[in-house]
Amino acid sequence: MNSSNIFPNIYRFIGLVAVQVIILSQVSLAANNYCNILLYPLFILFLPIEIATPLAVFLGFLVGLTVDLFIGTYGVNASAGALSGYSRAIILHQFAPRGGYSSKEPIPTPQYFGWRWFLNVAAIFFAVHIFWYFAMAYFTPVYLVGKILPQTILGWFLTMIVVVLYTRIFHPKV
Amino acid sequence: MHSIIQLFVRHGGLLTLVVLQVVCLYLIASYNAAQRQVATASWVKYSGDVMDWKTRLYDYLDLRDENNRLRSENARLQTLLINARMGERPAVDTFSLRREPSDSASQKIVRPEYTFIPARVVSNSIGGRNNWMIINRGSRDGVQPNSGVITADGLAGIVRYVSEDFSMVMSVLHRQTRISAAVKHQAYFGSLLWDGENPQKMVLSDIPYHLKVKPRDTIEISHYSLMFPEGHMAGIVDTAYRVDGSNFLHIDVRLSQNPAGINNVYIVNNKFSAQLDQLQQAVKDE
Repeated sequence: MNSSNIFPNIYRFIGLVAVQVIILSQVSLAANNYCNILLYPLFILFLPIEIATPLAVFLGFLVGLTVDLFIGTYGVNASAGALSGYSRAIILHQFAPRGGYSSKEPIPTPQYFGWRWFLNVAAIFFAVHIFWYFAMAYFTPVYLVGKILPQTILGWFLTMIVVVLYTRIFHPKV
Repeated sequence: MHSIIQLFVRHGGLLTLVVLQVVCLYLIASYNAAQRQVATASWVKYSGDVMDWKTRLYDYLDLRDENNRLRSENARLQTLLINARMGERPAVDTFSLRREPSDSASQKIVRPEYTFIPARVVSNSIGGRNNWMIINRGSRDGVQPNSGVITADGLAGIVRYVSEDFSMVMSVLHRQTRISAAVKHQAYFGSLLWDGENPQKMVLSDIPYHLKVKPRDTIEISHYSLMFPEGHMAGIVDTAYRVDGSNFLHIDVRLSQNPAGINNVYIVNNKFSAQLDQLQQAVKDE
């Protein structure tokens, strides 16, 4: 990260954590914690493409831990965030355009790669994150079929709607 | 140092992920009530398995020591067992003033007759006409020549030569071997010897032909034997028939201890062998 793109990321960090903690966590409380909309991982996804993977993993951990501190689920979001920082590198590598990424595409958004590409990447990215979030929240394979998988599917579906809305509204470019 | 940096450059993301996941697991299991319960229950469940596995591993690693310990223990128990059978007799004076129950230990004089030294066979042969084996106990361990050597299942041989740490044992498969043996529950006794044929069989001679001996009868050490403990299993009858023109039976005995498979043995020390020798010498001199 250099000075030209560090501030947009800081704003996204603060903004997404605030939305997550103030609005979305209340929604999930109202739903008795059954469905969780997790928007803050967009911060991880919208980090610069060329960022070093260890840094992405650490920033994912950091944003997750910040959310955890507000909500009181110490470690659950941090674990999912760190995993997302790593899975993001693999997903982006798999979806690399022919000839690789260039400095003309600083972050993975529809503006540079098109909606079809973005929805594919975001779908896998959020599926991994939300599955791991519920896995850590229940912390036992006993609930895998009964609770973790159905809640992952529901949460993933709702989250993808909000992700599309966010991206449509803000058109992030850096 | 260089290779560590190389490792981090190549797998830094994965390393960071693993380290942070460990931190997260610790946080989750420490500060969340529900997950802590799961973690505690799992710990209780699986730590038992792990401990069990660890114990089994250690048991396996200690097997050699354990074997040695069990061999000594066996020798000690055999000593107790045979002494109880052989050396226990009522006190001579039955007119005791103290009137203790007649079976109390204080009224019996225990006369330990045998001690046992555990040993292992380090060399063995069964192919020749006169077979020998070497065991890993010698004079330093208290082995004396002309001591019997037995296994838990049967007979092994007789100590002939003793060095400091090893002993040369004349196998039961030796033309000079003569062991006093009897058919179980029969009064007559004979000599167990090897005819040099089958290494799993010996011949019991000198049993009068009028005795009824059937296949599968037990052959055990007779109470006249000085080297071997009375009643120790020697083998079972394979065939028994009267030799024409002889007053004795020819009894083929299948050995209960296969001489080819001998490993753990006990050297039998008769505590009275010196006295008995002395007495026999006294008669010889006359």
